[in-house]
Amino acid sequence: MTDATLLVLASTLSTGLILGAIFALVAAGVTIVYGCVWLPNASNGQFFLLAALAAWSLAGAGWSSAAAIIGVLFMGIALSLVIEWVLVRRLYDVPERNVAYFVVTLGLTQIMSGIFAMSWGLWSDQFTLPPLVDGITMIGPFPMTNNRIVVLAIALGVLAVLFAALRYHPYGRALRAVFQNREAAALRGVNVRAIYRLSFLLGSSIIFLGGMLFALAYSFDLTVAWTMSVTAFAIMIVGGPGSVLGALVVGMVFGFTQAIVSIFASPTAATFSYLLAMLAMLLFRPSGLFNR
Amino acid sequence: MSLLQVDGISRHFGGVTALRNVDVRMREGETLGMIGPNGSGKTTFVNIVTGHLVPDGGRLLFKGTSIAGAAPHHLAALGLTRTYQAVRVFGGLSVRKNIEAALLLGLSGAPAAAEQDELVHWLRLDHRLSSPAGSLTLFEQRRLELLMRLLQRPSLIMLDEPVGGLAVTEVREMIALLQELKARCSIFVIEHTMRVIRELADRVVVLMAGEKIADGPPADILRDKRVVEQYLGTAHA
Amino acid sequence: MNGRHLAIALAVAALAAPFVLEGNRFLAFVFGIVMINLLWASGMNLLYGFVGLMPLMFAGIAGIAAYAMVALTREAGWSFWLATPVAAVGAAFVGVLLGLPSLRLKGFYFTLCSLVIQSVLTLAFTFFPRFTNGDTGLNQIEPPAWGGVQLAGVWFDATLSVVAVVGVLLAAWIVQTRLGQRFIAIREDDVLAEVMGIDVVRNRIIAFFIVSLYAAVGGCFYASYVGFISPRSFDVLTSLGIWLCVAFGGRGTIIGPIIGTVILAPIPYLLQELQAFKDVLSGVLIIVVTLVMPAGIHGEIMRRRSLRRAAAPPTVSAAEAVSSNGGAR
Ligand SMILES: Nc1ncnc2c1ncn2[C@@H]1O[C@H](COP(=O)(O)OP(=O)(O)OP(=O)(O)O)[C@@H](O)[C@H]1O
Ligand SMILES: [Mg+2]
Repeated sequence: MTDATLLVLASTLSTGLILGAIFALVAAGVTIVYGCVWLPNASNGQFFLLAALAAWSLAGAGWSSAAAIIGVLFMGIALSLVIEWVLVRRLYDVPERNVAYFVVTLGLTQIMSGIFAMSWGLWSDQFTLPPLVDGITMIGPFPMTNNRIVVLAIALGVLAVLFAALRYHPYGRALRAVFQNREAAALRGVNVRAIYRLSFLLGSSIIFLGGMLFALAYSFDLTVAWTMSVTAFAIMIVGGPGSVLGALVVGMVFGFTQAIVSIFASPTAATFSYLLAMLAMLLFRPSGLFNR
Repeated sequence: MSLLQVDGISRHFGGVTALRNVDVRMREGETLGMIGPNGSGKTTFVNIVTGHLVPDGGRLLFKGTSIAGAAPHHLAALGLTRTYQAVRVFGGLSVRKNIEAALLLGLSGAPAAAEQDELVHWLRLDHRLSSPAGSLTLFEQRRLELLMRLLQRPSLIMLDEPVGGLAVTEVREMIALLQELKARCSIFVIEHTMRVIRELADRVVVLMAGEKIADGPPADILRDKRVVEQYLGTAHA
Repeated sequence: MNGRHLAIALAVAALAAPFVLEGNRFLAFVFGIVMINLLWASGMNLLYGFVGLMPLMFAGIAGIAAYAMVALTREAGWSFWLATPVAAVGAAFVGVLLGLPSLRLKGFYFTLCSLVIQSVLTLAFTFFPRFTNGDTGLNQIEPPAWGGVQLAGVWFDATLSVVAVVGVLLAAWIVQTRLGQRFIAIREDDVLAEVMGIDVVRNRIIAFFIVSLYAAVGGCFYASYVGFISPRSFDVLTSLGIWLCVAFGGRGTIIGPIIGTVILAPIPYLLQELQAFKDVLSGVLIIVVTLVMPAGIHGEIMRRRSLRRAAAPPTVSAAEAVSSNGGAR
């Protein structure tokens, strides 16, 4: 193998890892909320983009990237609380709430993309966050920016914590109990509405974080919202709605797919393939790969 | 020839075995009761026979022909119908519209207007025709359910706990209605209320954890030691 | 009958409007667009309002027909009046084929599936430019000719009025046939409908075919009326916009989509300078309709009216009681 191919291989590998971890993160955020509250958030891509843009603005105002990320996370939690209070909680007891919520979030998507077009869209068409850390590390013969290594570490770390928390933390256990059977959990004394709120907050915070990690690693434009929405939904459906493990595995697979496809064709081709994968899954195995 | 012949059907849900190797036969004109503790597989049995669920294995014959894999709408046309444990009517539509929906089946032998009126009257729904079905009392909704089935002239109707949730006086009335119903079609009835079984059934099948543990006349079954211990003794102490 | 009079009045208004608006080309054009949207909305209503499925690939099917119509007229030299029915039936078959597997799904899964299909179609329009010319779109689409003369101005508007009126009347007729009654039963409870002997999947397919025809015919007229189409003319926002006309006006009624379309369809043209604001507005409306008034404007009016009626009886019955007492005495 020549050096050039090696380099392409290495960059594909690192891109695949980072994209995969971010995809898995966002999809986990979507799938937790769907699995637990039965609410599919179609505007997850807009949430993702909002966080990235907000961090970009704060960085532009002179904040360091780390400070911007923490600031946006707090703002994101506040915003989620407001959305939960104004919109989401009205749907907790609606029987067909998944359709209603899907439609509501489609509306939210339109509102947010309208707002983005009227604001950030006028200011710039490419955005990026300044790196968290500078420098380059050689991993074997392959160079990788320290910034991307940190992004990857954060993404994988959050995923690991999430996974462990869902399994071992009492809140995580209650969350999973509600996943499995709302009535039974309620009978055992779990406060179902509180768990709903918690999982909505958790899910959106993860999506916000995913958006900012993406902005650290890559430059982006406003169309990333749509792409991310499609990707996250495809991962959720293929991995099995409600399955965090499914989100992890399929997210990684999609990340590598995207990295490889981008070498030969436009990234849209990757989006196209996610759409087809989701379609096939919906039609032939709606419960997904990782659900019993 | 049996009206209904069920041979060795089983059904699993993940790790749960809801039914294991159950045989049931029913003659034309017979009223067959089914009892068993909660979760013993009674509703699953009806779901399988009426095409709502696919069994893991076994044979299903109705009037001598195999009905394995047949869709519910197909079975309705053949004369096999059911009601639901949680009452099910078109709640958003008026009683009259519910009746019209039942007549959509378009059988050649559909009841004429006079007979329809007679059925409506018999089930005492005449004064409710323009009310939304969802606003009816539970007892009225159960009668509407029966009416909608009878308009389709079934040969076999499978009732899943027809007196569940009814008041004592209503139970008595419902039993009287079902007595009269026997003249119109064969009845399969799931019940926890022993009175219903004792007064209606010619024969009783007992399910325990998905298996058939007894089958015979109600008088014998309700005295059977095993049944009394395992079911009547525990569930209805 | 009240309903019949209203129907005649509305039909006459629709047919007369092009002649009234003749002096103002812009308003006449917006009116023509409203008529096309009315056709679309009454088709969407058949599926969303009467069968209970939300087909977000509606615009995609309209797009297939529109592109096919343009190809048939331009490349094969067919007349619009031959190309439109052929393209419409073809697109409806494609629609059913695409929708067929998803018709087993319901609720959220159906809606998601239709959204995915819509996205695939939009991408296909963009990336297979042989017939669509990609993102650039097709322009200078000829208007239909009628006896050698091209339809233009007021006569084209009037043609659209006729098409819309026929579409609405057809929908009104369908919903009171046995087929329509089956649709309603399926919407109310598909499991119970199945037990009552209704072949749910088959009836959904029939509904889907009819609805695809509405989408497709509207798509062909849209292309020739506006003269320009691109993938954006038939994207998910178009589907959502048509859906909103139905939901906002009042689904499951014939008058509801008319109300919704007349109010909402002109907005994008009246707010031409403010596209982004239009998105925000329609997003807000989608949320309001879903959360606050699921029965739409028409449902809201009916609710208010029945509340008033419910509030009225005490006085009425009191009056009756007095008079009957008087009679007894
Ligand atoms: N769709 C399903 N998915 C998973 N498990 C099911 C399903 N339907 C039934 N079961 C399980 O199968 C078993 C039998 O259930 P079934 O509803 O047939 O009981 P039943 O005898 O009708 O009880 P009851 O008297 O409470 O109505 C139960 O353990 C139940 O949890
Ligand atoms: Mg049961």
